[in-house]
This record gives sequence, structure tokens and C-alpha cells, in this order.
Amino acid sequence: MISISPKILTPGSDIAIEKKLDLTNLTPEQVALDINKLNLFYGKKQALNNITMSIPKGQVTAFIGPSGCGKSTLLRSINRMNDLVDDCHISGEINLHGNNIYDKHVNVAELRRKVGMVFQRPNPFPKTIYENVVYGLRIMGENNRRKLDEAAEKSLRSAALWNEVKDRLHESALGLSGGQQQRLVIARAIAIQPEVLLLDEPTSALDPISTLTIEELINDLKKQFTVVIVTHNMQQAARVSDQTAFMYMGDLIEYSDTNTLFTTPQKKKTEDYITGRYG
Amino acid sequence: MNKWFKSGSPWIWLSAGGVSLSLISVLGLLWLIASRGLSYFWPSELYQFDLTDEHGTKSVVIGEIYDREQIPVSQLAHLDLVLEPDQEILERLLIKTGNRELVSLDFRWLLSHNIQKTQTPKDLVVVERRTNGNFYGYIETVVVDGKEVALEKLPELLSRVDNFQEQINELQKSDIGAINYQLERLRLKTRKYQLQNKLTPELQAQIDSEIATLNQEYAELEQELLGYRKEVSRDHIVMRAMDGQLVTINFEYILKVTFNNQLTLIEKIALFFSQIASFLIEDPREANTEGGVFPAIFGTVLMVLLMTVIVSPFGVIAAIYLHEYAGKNAFTKLLRIAVINLAGVPSIVYGVFGLGFFVYMVGGSLDQLFYSENLPSPTFGTPGVLWSALTLAILTLPVVIVSTEEGLSRIPSAMRHGSLALGATKAETLWRIILPIASPAIMTGIILAIARAAGEVAPLMLVGVVKMAPNLPLDGNFPFLHLDRKFMHLGFHIYDVGFQSPNVEAARPLVYATALLLVSIIVALNMTAVSIRNKLRERYKMLEH
Repeated sequence: MISISPKILTPGSDIAIEKKLDLTNLTPEQVALDINKLNLFYGKKQALNNITMSIPKGQVTAFIGPSGCGKSTLLRSINRMNDLVDDCHISGEINLHGNNIYDKHVNVAELRRKVGMVFQRPNPFPKTIYENVVYGLRIMGENNRRKLDEAAEKSLRSAALWNEVKDRLHESALGLSGGQQQRLVIARAIAIQPEVLLLDEPTSALDPISTLTIEELINDLKKQFTVVIVTHNMQQAARVSDQTAFMYMGDLIEYSDTNTLFTTPQKKKTEDYITGRYG
Repeated sequence: MNKWFKSGSPWIWLSAGGVSLSLISVLGLLWLIASRGLSYFWPSELYQFDLTDEHGTKSVVIGEIYDREQIPVSQLAHLDLVLEPDQEILERLLIKTGNRELVSLDFRWLLSHNIQKTQTPKDLVVVERRTNGNFYGYIETVVVDGKEVALEKLPELLSRVDNFQEQINELQKSDIGAINYQLERLRLKTRKYQLQNKLTPELQAQIDSEIATLNQEYAELEQELLGYRKEVSRDHIVMRAMDGQLVTINFEYILKVTFNNQLTLIEKIALFFSQIASFLIEDPREANTEGGVFPAIFGTVLMVLLMTVIVSPFGVIAAIYLHEYAGKNAFTKLLRIAVINLAGVPSIVYGVFGLGFFVYMVGGSLDQLFYSENLPSPTFGTPGVLWSALTLAILTLPVVIVSTEEGLSRIPSAMRHGSLALGATKAETLWRIILPIASPAIMTGIILAIARAAGEVAPLMLVGVVKMAPNLPLDGNFPFLHLDRKFMHLGFHIYDVGFQSPNVEAARPLVYATALLLVSIIVALNMTAVSIRNKLRERYKMLEH
């Protein structure tokens, strides 16, 4: 039985006093991503069924749901990481600034610069901490030492890692702890100033203390970026997100602001899942 | 017993036994080669044997003991030996007696039964010579410019001759060699103009004047050379051989005079190392059975390095294509199997292919296109070091491809995804992330390739190795690296000295010594590659997932 910490959901807490957005009727300025009738197949198996949703700008949106519900698949569709999977077919649209990212003319590398991603397990490159952070910038052709230094410091500060690594920037990134590595990977992703940051279960491989640090970090990150997070941990979704989408078997069951979804779910499946009656 | 089997310890014993057996055989092999090979350099005692044979004839034999053997008496029945009735085994000695101008064989078996007296006289001497091998005997007189001088003068005279010999070598190899090379180039130039119908009288005159200058220089150098030669051949020594004959040996032919029986242990050790050094840095003499192996060392290393330079990029590129870009279909699988099977093709087949394709087709066409002035004598259309390196590169290509591909497939997809998610293209990911991480695996492939190539002899006999190469493939004449030249190789040298030489007994220790050298060179090349790989591993080591 999973219980939801009452502290988070008490009216008057941070989340509760935020102004609620009308998710079905956002103005174009408020929208970061607009997903429209998205269907996705792995071979013959359909993994996503006709998903339509708008992800608001400058907020944290969480995808929750049981394993295999398609939440990670949906996340990976947003920066076209599914392109790397053989026989994966997609129909429908995901619009970024009104342009469909699945359009033929889209440069995928450029898209991924705008939509950064952090994976479940920390995956720093076997390079120095510094080189990890500036990797994206180097790819973009930036070689000016001063600019790279500035960007590295700024991103590491934003990822709340600067104080821990400032004296060993030129040591291997593999010497960091798991939590530090995950923050390094986040710093690496935000160094190229993406508009959207996708987090695919970023804390599932971490200990509780590191998890807490990352969650605090996510709260800071939404000031600069639109954050989309996949998590199978409902408390985490409740703690960090502004909007939550519940998915089940490839369907988007319910999508509303976090407070509403966890306190007054509209659908039976949602209620079953968040109260632990699922399965 | 059953319990013991179930405990798993028999398997531990079995595998430990297997490991020890392999270890013992490797160490035994190395020990055999090393002990036999190194003993070649140790200055051995010189013996004088007084013999009386079965007919009562007395004789004297001087030389080094090379080998001892026990043989049954029954084999010697035809000799009518007078023996103790219960004696069944006789010992016989193999003696190196040298003095090739006096006796046809410079090795000789002695029955220890016939030996009356064995001595090691202090004034017995071994003279190492440029021709006719060693001379064993006593120095009778030292003659300088027609006058006899004391024996103490000998070292001084020898070093004087040494100096002149060095100058002669220098003159022949670099100065005269360069002039000959330039003359040859001028000849080819003339021929080229003739072929193109561009040979105007002015050009001809210019070339003629150049040739005249060179010829004049050549004449001057020749004079100088003759002067040195005269100096060198001024003095001689007179030696008494084992049968009392007197032999005159001119200093011109003397390399070294050693009183082996007077040497102290320290002097012997010093001589031992100086012999090893001269084995490593000198050119071979007397159909490769004497002297050093430097050209063979040089040829082996150069050829292997060339091969590495050729095979690495091709192998890595092929592996990258197979692993990263080729579609994952039946054709790719077939291709992969074909590549792996290439490793099983006998190496001589590669030699035949190299001869047919590289030497005759590619080399022949190159000659037609670029070296037509030299025809009918071929430039690249004949076996050479480039074709050898290319042939071995093809031979070792599968090894590099397979281990690089393995390295690529070991890289976790998280690395690729991490890079791609940061906006890198596939090519950028390959260059900046995948290849550096895969570099230790690539090095492993190169190490295996080197190990395979350095020991390969059979294909080389068809595509470039010779018994005796007059010039190294690298010298001071432009363009310095002559890829069209033939070269010497340690592996072929072993074969040649061991099986093709006129004097197999004399050559046997040399075979071991050369084998030891070949093994050491391969180990050295491999160790270099391994240390590079370890550095790369340390640098790009991955987290254990």
C-alpha cells in the first residue's frame, strides 16, 4: 500500500498555491511542446495509442504509470531517440514552436540540442569532468577556452555540483559518486542551453540522499527550462512536478495538475494506481 | 571418491595442470633457445688433442669442442677398435677445427678412445677472418712492412687496420654508393627523355657534363680507396696450423685475434657481450654463416611497422562499417563470416596472391606508368618490402577487424545515446566517444597482428625476402625510404642459415641465436603495443555496469 505524504498535499503548500493552468486550453506562449495524435509502433506492437497533450513552458511535467505503460517511450519520442530503435514507426505530430519535429526536413542533431535528455543511469563519458560538461559545446564548434570555462562553471553551478568538483575539473568524471555523476550529466545537458530537458527516471539508480539533491535541483531547473520527467515513484512525481500525466498500456489516461491528479483523480484507473490498488 | 568428484576439485586440478603444462612448454622452449643461442657467443676453450688411431698413426687436432655424443660400440665395429671386452658405449667429440683452406671440412668427429692427451696451451689462438672462417693455431711471426716484429705489437697493428677498414667501409657505402646512385638516376633520366623524344643536344650535353663530374669524383674516391687498401694489406702474420703447416694471413682479412685460453672470466664476459653486440650491429659474412644479422633485424622491424601502418586504418575502418553502418542482415553476417574465415587461409596462399596481384599486376602497372625508363628491369614489378608489408597486412586484416568489432560491441549503448542526446551526429559520436573507448580493443587487434606478421616467413619468400640484400630499404639517398627494395628477414634468415647454408654444423648455434633474437624482437614489439594499450585502457576505462 502506497500512501502519499500528506505534507505535500496540504492546501497552502508551495504546489497548492501555484496558479493552476488550464491544460486543455493553453495560449501558444504557454506551450513548450504540443503532442498531437501520436501513435508509435515497435514492429507490429503498438506502444503508444493516439496521445494528445500539451506540455506547458517553464514547468515540470511528470509522466507516471506502471512499467511498460509507454511513459519512457513517449519521453524518448520528444527528442527522437526512438529513431535509434530498429523498426520503430511513428505517426502523428510533436510540435516545438509550431514545427513538427517529425517533419522530413528536421535536423535531428539540432533538435536534440534544443531538447536535452538525461538517462536513468548516469552515463558520463570516460573523459574529465570539464570535458564532459563542454562536450555539447565542442560539438557545436565552440573552442574558445574562456567561453567554455564560463559555460562549464555556469552549468555546474546550475546543477549544484560546482562546489564539489571545482578543484578537480580535470580529473576523470568516473571518479565521482553516482549522485554526482547524475548531476554532472544534467550539467552536461544544460550546458548547451536546451529549451526542454527530458529526465528519464533520473533518480532510480541513486540513493535517497542523492535523490533528494536531484529533486531540489529539478525545482531550480524549471526557472530556466521546461522539464519533463518520467518516474515510477509517485511520491517523487508529487514532490517535484506541476503537471502529472498518468499513462496505462500506451494510453494517456489522465493529465492534469499534480495536486488535482493526486487528490481528486477523475478516472478509476488513476485512482486505483495512486492508491496502490493497481495490479 | 564420488564425493571428491562432486567437490569440483578434479576440475581445478585439471585446469591447473593444463596451465602448468603450457607454461612449462613455453619456458622450456625459451630456455632451450636462449641457452643454445647465447652459448654461441661465449668464448670457449681451445684444445689441442694428441691422437693415436687404430693403426697407430699419430696426429694432432686443434679446435673448440662443439658437441659430445655417446654411441654404441656396435656402430663402430668396422673400425677394429681395441676395446675392453665389457665396453658398450663410446664417447665421441665434435671439434670445430676451422682452417678451411687446409681441410675441406671445418668440423671433425674424434673418438675419445683415440685421444692420448688433451691440453689447453696458453698461446693457442683463434683468428676470426673475413673469408674462410676461423683459423686455429699458433702465431709464428708478425710481419710489418716486410720486417718481423714482436708479438706484443699485434693489438696495435690490429686497431690500425680496423681504422682503415672503417674508412674503407664508410667510403664504399656512403660516398661511392651515393655517386653510383646518382649515376644510375642520370642514366634513367636520359632514358626517360629518349622515350619521350625530348632529348635535345643541350640536355644531353648537360647530363654528360654531370656524368663527367661524377665520374671524376668517383675516380678520386677510388684513388683514396686504393690508398687505404694498400695500407690495410701492408702487414701479415704467419701461423702454424695443427699439422705443422705454415699459413700466411694478411691483416686485410683479419677481424679479431683472441687468445681464448689466456682470458680471465671478466675478459670472457666482456668478449661475450662484445660478440653479442657485433652480432646485432654487423652485416653477415660468408653466405650468412658468419658475422651479424643487422640487415635482417632492420628488415623485420621495418616490414612489421609498415604492415602495422597499413593494416590499422583499413581494419578499423572495415570494422566500423561492419558494426556501425552496415545493415543487420544476412549479407552482413555472411561478410563477417567470410572475414573470420580469411584468418584461416594458409599464409603461403597469401604469398601467392601477393605475388600475382601486388607484384605482377599492381607493380607491373606502376612500372609501365611511372618507371618505364627502367624497363625491362622492373622497379616495383618485382618482390619488395612494400609488397611484403601489403601481403602481410591482408593476412592480418581479419585479426584487426574482429577485435575492433568486438571492442565496438562492448561499448554500452548509454555512451552512444549520451552523445547523440547532446546533439552530436553519428560521425561525431564515433570520433569523439566510440573510437577513443574502443582504442584498447583496436590496440589488441594490432598486437595480435604484429605477433602474427613478425613470425610469418612463407609468404615473404614469394613477395620480397632475399638471402642477402645489398642495401637496406632505408638510406641517405633521396627518397630515403626505398619501398621497392628487397629486404632480409630474421625468420627467413633462420631458414636460410639452418637449411640452405653450405655448413650446417657451423650454422646450428647461429640458428638458435637468430631464433632467440626473433623471439625477443617480437616480444619487444608486442610489449610496446601492450604498454600503449594499457595507457589507453587506464585513460578510457569504463565504469563496470
